[in-house]
Amino acid sequence: MPEAGGYRLLEHTADIGLEIWGRSLNIFFEQAGEGLRDILFGPVSGTPEICRRIEVSGQDSGQLLVNWLNEFLFLWETENLIPVEINVIEASPDHMVAWVGGIFFDPARHGIEREIKAATYHQLQVKEENGEWRGRIFLDL
Amino acid sequence: MNLKVEQIDACRWRIPRQGVMRTEGLVFANRRMMEELRKEQALEQVANVATLPGIVGPSIAMPDIHWGYGFPIGGVAAFDPDEGIVSPGGVGYDINCGVRLLRSALSAGDAVPRLKELADALFRNIPSGVGSHRRDLKLSIQEERKVLRKGASWAVEQGFGSAEDLNHIEEGGTIAEADPELVSDRALERGRAQLGTLGSGNHFIEIQQVEEIMDTRAADCLGLFAGQLTVSIHTGSRGFGYQVCDDYLRTMLRAAQKYGISLPDRQLCCAPLTSPEASQYLAAMACAANFAFANRQLITAWVRESFQQVLALGPADLRLSVIYDVCHNIAKWETHQVQGRPRRLCVHRKGATRAFPPGHPETPELYRQVGQPVLIPGDMGRYSYVLVGTATAFAETFGSTCHGAGRVLSRHAAKNQARGRDIVAELAKKGILIRAAGRATVAEEIPEAYKDVRDVVGVVEQAGIGKIVARLKPLAVIKG
Repeated sequence: MPEAGGYRLLEHTADIGLEIWGRSLNIFFEQAGEGLRDILFGPVSGTPEICRRIEVSGQDSGQLLVNWLNEFLFLWETENLIPVEINVIEASPDHMVAWVGGIFFDPARHGIEREIKAATYHQLQVKEENGEWRGRIFLDL
Repeated sequence: MNLKVEQIDACRWRIPRQGVMRTEGLVFANRRMMEELRKEQALEQVANVATLPGIVGPSIAMPDIHWGYGFPIGGVAAFDPDEGIVSPGGVGYDINCGVRLLRSALSAGDAVPRLKELADALFRNIPSGVGSHRRDLKLSIQEERKVLRKGASWAVEQGFGSAEDLNHIEEGGTIAEADPELVSDRALERGRAQLGTLGSGNHFIEIQQVEEIMDTRAADCLGLFAGQLTVSIHTGSRGFGYQVCDDYLRTMLRAAQKYGISLPDRQLCCAPLTSPEASQYLAAMACAANFAFANRQLITAWVRESFQQVLALGPADLRLSVIYDVCHNIAKWETHQVQGRPRRLCVHRKGATRAFPPGHPETPELYRQVGQPVLIPGDMGRYSYVLVGTATAFAETFGSTCHGAGRVLSRHAAKNQARGRDIVAELAKKGILIRAAGRATVAEEIPEAYKDVRDVVGVVEQAGIGKIVARLKPLAVIKG
């Protein structure tokens, strides 16, 4: 995991959360995506078979994080795509653009750890502190 | 937050109006449950719901209450049409997650020798989720809109089940106010990919045995007998519903600001019932509810198909018929008696089940003498219950009761407790076969992760807001 950013899973009775940090907002969102992939699939790697440009907006940075992660869920459910390379090329507190390289789910190679219903607004937090972006988000399982 | 709580009787507690609460909270729990509840934030959530405008009666919590997003899970709240609000958080992400119970002509003993084949057939015939689909179900967006308007009756029109099934589903399997124009393209895409799938997590299909009959008269009326084979289906509106909820949370966050509604918790975002935003949400929510009714109807057809395949018995011999199908995440317009006069109210049930009494016109004719059937799933290692609704529930809880057991252990803690154990083998020793698609699922769903549903229904019966009819024992559990 790059020292410039990271994530860890947060325990919760019924659901699961992510605590995320990044030296830049770009890295913050990349780590959030990696965290979500980890929750969904466990460790996965591979060479991308397809690339998608994702553009997301939000009323504030918290909603932006919710919308960003829900975007992944949408790609997963509708195209069976697992994001293996995440590059956030533009990020501001209410808008972001990313290129996501994905591989198609293959039941022979990949397993599904969990089904996630949605990224939620519970205890949602995204803030910049001492030159670092830190945040927390909970996912409805 | 130190909430003042008063005991009313052995199974009722009051959270008196305090702070900015507009009404009191009413919690159904025994002393031990209440001690546990004070340690987590569910009671604060009950109090938060009581701050919402136009709430009629108390903010109610069932004995299986646990913490949720905004509204607690196991909560009921009713709102006045002119002064009140509707809130997507009061319904949940999985709109019309619910349970359907099928009876059969078989005794469990007839099926036990073929249990593994039955479980395999169910696992094969009923897609669990992403990446798995029935080839015989192809859905265009146009056709999907019909599903959203018609619900379970769409499925019957396509040849999945019969019209008779519809008589034994809450709302007849269709909520009329559905308007597919009010759901996003994104929701339609997710729905198209997932109609006819079970989902994972705590969704399941279960082959069961009626282990004990507690109320013979009601059991006879419901067509249940001791030792009978039954099947439960627990699933909801899949990605379609989750998307509708997410879309309308955004709408309601803006609406709460627009209408000047102050919220102790962002996830209680809402709009006045008189507003266009409220009507739009209810119409979209109805689409998701209908999606879930259609989903359970499809799965019923595939359950019947699986039993026919394995046991080489026709429908007339199997007689796998619907006892009832209930929602436990929904908001509905209902008429209730409030201080002696009938009032039309928007009743939110999140992790709570409608439990209408004997004699109510919406209780199906077949059951009108005993009350509406209520289906309460337990966890995968223990039991489930069948109850009927009561007049006390109608008077005290807007005709509502609990929905299940509720988690007590986080998934992480459950996995820790499961480490080094062969859960599948442990269940097999108890005579329970499990087939699961997801890797983490079995460990995370161990029985210890849940409250004991026996305690939950015990409080329900003690309080008089449900009457226990039978206890079902799991024989095989199929999970996504």
